[in-house]
Amino acid sequence: MDDIAARVKAVVGRVLKIDPKTLKDGDHFVQDLGAESIQSIELVAEFEDEFDIEMDEDDALGVQRVGEAVEFIRKILED
Amino acid sequence: MKQYELVETEGPVLLEDVFPHDNVPLILFNSNFTDTINGEDVTFDLAHLTERDLHITDTTFRDGQQARPPFTVKQTVDLYKFLVRLSGPNGVVRNTEFFVYSKKDRDALEACLEVGAEYPRVTGWIRADVADLRFVEKVGLKETGILTSCSDYHIFMKSKMDRRKAFEKYSAAVGAALEAGIQPRCHLEDVTRADLDGFVIPFVQNIMRMSESVADELKPKVRLCDTMGFGISYPGAALPRSVPKLCWRMVHDAGVPPERLEWHGHNDFHKVLINGMTAWLCGCNALNATLLGIGERTGNPPLEGALFEYIGLTGGTNGADTLVLTEIAEYFEKEIGYTIPNHQPFVGRDFNKTRAGIHAGGLYQDHRIYNIFDTEAILGVPPLVAITDKSGSDGVAYWVNSFLGLKGKDRLRKSKLVKIMRWVTDEYDVHGRTTAVSDVEMGNLVEEHLPETYFEKVKQDNPS
Repeated sequence: MDDIAARVKAVVGRVLKIDPKTLKDGDHFVQDLGAESIQSIELVAEFEDEFDIEMDEDDALGVQRVGEAVEFIRKILED
Repeated sequence: MKQYELVETEGPVLLEDVFPHDNVPLILFNSNFTDTINGEDVTFDLAHLTERDLHITDTTFRDGQQARPPFTVKQTVDLYKFLVRLSGPNGVVRNTEFFVYSKKDRDALEACLEVGAEYPRVTGWIRADVADLRFVEKVGLKETGILTSCSDYHIFMKSKMDRRKAFEKYSAAVGAALEAGIQPRCHLEDVTRADLDGFVIPFVQNIMRMSESVADELKPKVRLCDTMGFGISYPGAALPRSVPKLCWRMVHDAGVPPERLEWHGHNDFHKVLINGMTAWLCGCNALNATLLGIGERTGNPPLEGALFEYIGLTGGTNGADTLVLTEIAEYFEKEIGYTIPNHQPFVGRDFNKTRAGIHAGGLYQDHRIYNIFDTEAILGVPPLVAITDKSGSDGVAYWVNSFLGLKGKDRLRKSKLVKIMRWVTDEYDVHGRTTAVSDVEMGNLVEEHLPETYFEKVKQDNPS
């Protein structure tokens, strides 16, 4: 697991109160991890803090799975 | 059955010819309607409706005041001045009416006359008693309402008369008014349960005959008083409850021209404004109303509702100042101590406030989705969001950005407001709160979590 993926999972674990080691790339934030509406926004806010980036809010809230979040953030960092 | 195909468009079709948003939604007609009266099909002409001199008359100080502790003289004059501004120079609110019996009534009336406004004209209200006319003469009014109750409930049971006595008494009062140079306005009390052919029409025909030779400005007006709110607007409804048929028969069988015909209703069956509007459509040029709809029992047509119907019908304000309505509502609450129901259209505290997160989401994207019209421009009240457990992140985002006056790309993103959202969520989910979060609490949260933005706003609001 690369650094970005590890940091994304650490954030997800912290916000959703889940052990990051149990997270899989295919986990769906809402259906598998039980994220509530406000937690989706908390995730966006925490990702922005963690990576010091600003994400398009609508696009970011459209991300549904952990692995997608990793790729979404990786792309922003690369751009 | 004709098959309809999906029509795809480049963008939204917003029907702005009907819903212009910077104006009140328009009430457009594309056909007349017919009803059957005395076995004959009659047509109500809606195409030429706006060629008639439609207007509003006010009875806040008469019927409105009857239903509440009396206004002070100062309150009456203050409200009258609001009505002057609301009416505008063209007399959209044409008349208002006063009792004339007590010294306080006359003091208030004379103080309003001293304002010197053209509209609304000050008129009186008296019983059908020739002696009562002296009160009207004393204060120099040119028009007065005269109580001419016309159902047998009133003639026999209340006034202990019979039809002949009522006919003669009312006719005498009208005759005396004409002689005194005062335009009589006959209030046909309880007309929606009266015998039209046996009393109402003969009486009205009589006063029309009596006034054939008098000057136009003296010819009697007729007010159709739906005293108990029995009127029905549905096409095909029977007399005496049918509003369309009553109006039609007054014009065509009793000979009252629309410019001298008026509707006065009550809200006992929740029909007060729609009946008034129907009367406008069917032959009455004047619709009698009160500020906020106050009035005996369930109230009269709310004047503000009548005004928005007027604008919707005619397409413009004709000089009426709709912004005054919000000042009037504030005056009623702060100076008179009257509690306006929060959900009352146009003037209630919450009339354009959403509590549903999904609606707040719509507002957040574009006001037009969930605001009836541009309420900020027309009433000085931007659409609002109340913060509750149903508000969601969109509601909080809308509230905070509205509070800070941030629009478009300057709006704070939801991710910047997440701590406020979390506080709101926990209030309900963790602490079991059952009340809405107040604006003060929300302001405090903004100060705590967005201090720089908050103080920037404070600085802008208080430049000194």
